[in-house]
Amino acid sequence: MPGVAFVAHCLLNQNSKTDGGARCPGIYSPLVDELRARGWRIEQMPCPELAFTGLNRFWAVKEQLDTSAYRRHCRRLAAAVAGAVELHVRRGDDVILVGIEGSPSMGVHVTSSDPKRGGRPTWPEGTDELSPGSGIFMEELTAELAERGVQTPRAMGIRHQLPDHDAQAEQAALAELMEAG
Amino acid sequence: MEGDERGFRVALVSGELLNPAPGALDAMPVLVEEDWGAIQLPAADYPADVAAPLLDQAAEQAEEFARHGYRLAVVGGHEGLAEALERHGVQPPPQIDPTSASELRSFLLAAGR
Repeated sequence: MPGVAFVAHCLLNQNSKTDGGARCPGIYSPLVDELRARGWRIEQMPCPELAFTGLNRFWAVKEQLDTSAYRRHCRRLAAAVAGAVELHVRRGDDVILVGIEGSPSMGVHVTSSDPKRGGRPTWPEGTDELSPGSGIFMEELTAELAERGVQTPRAMGIRHQLPDHDAQAEQAALAELMEAG
Repeated sequence: MEGDERGFRVALVSGELLNPAPGALDAMPVLVEEDWGAIQLPAADYPADVAAPLLDQAAEQAEEFARHGYRLAVVGGHEGLAEALERHGVQPPPQIDPTSASELRSFLLAAGR
């Protein structure tokens, strides 16, 4: 088997997106197809925001979610995912993580940040909340793996909610990530 | 919630039907064609201590969709799923152990109405 890709929940279930964010009815197939075409096994991670702030949640930046309660929630979910990642790593499988760039929870290299955002959910047009860094779930997953002595797998984030999204470049990046093992 | 492309249909699907062995039924293309999202159930080759918390998370997420009136279905299944759904207050969704793509397609069409 070429490897195991642990993917963000919404890659297989766009219904979990914040209202306005779903790009298709269910499975976001371009990247799923890319993984499957290369024989990679797919394992879905949970959507940490879905079970905490629910389907009617507002779009949020990292500071709005970064409470001790949300971190405990993410750590509980991450512990379960880390158990599966550890199992595959100990078996000798190549493992990658595929998150969601720009997400306050699932961002890998890009998250969202605005320390002033709060209250009534409106903000000045053009406010740019994207910022370098990882989301809260990804931070907790990394910490959980470190506690288990498991190196964090290679990772990338899907960029489909970023303004510079380029579907072809994204597929190429995923292919490169798979081949880098 | 009507502001995007979501299908309001979510299937809890056996890992083996999303990562099928050669020659086995592949549920993924049918789910895509019928506009269903998927919550993946733990793989059958995971030991119980790895599978149990993943199964509980799947049920917890299903509850949020059920609460908002999304259509739910179970494709395949997993030992302990019924109990996990019950713990989270989710009524048992329609379920199928599909033997063919056409059988699965018919089931999803009916379950999605």
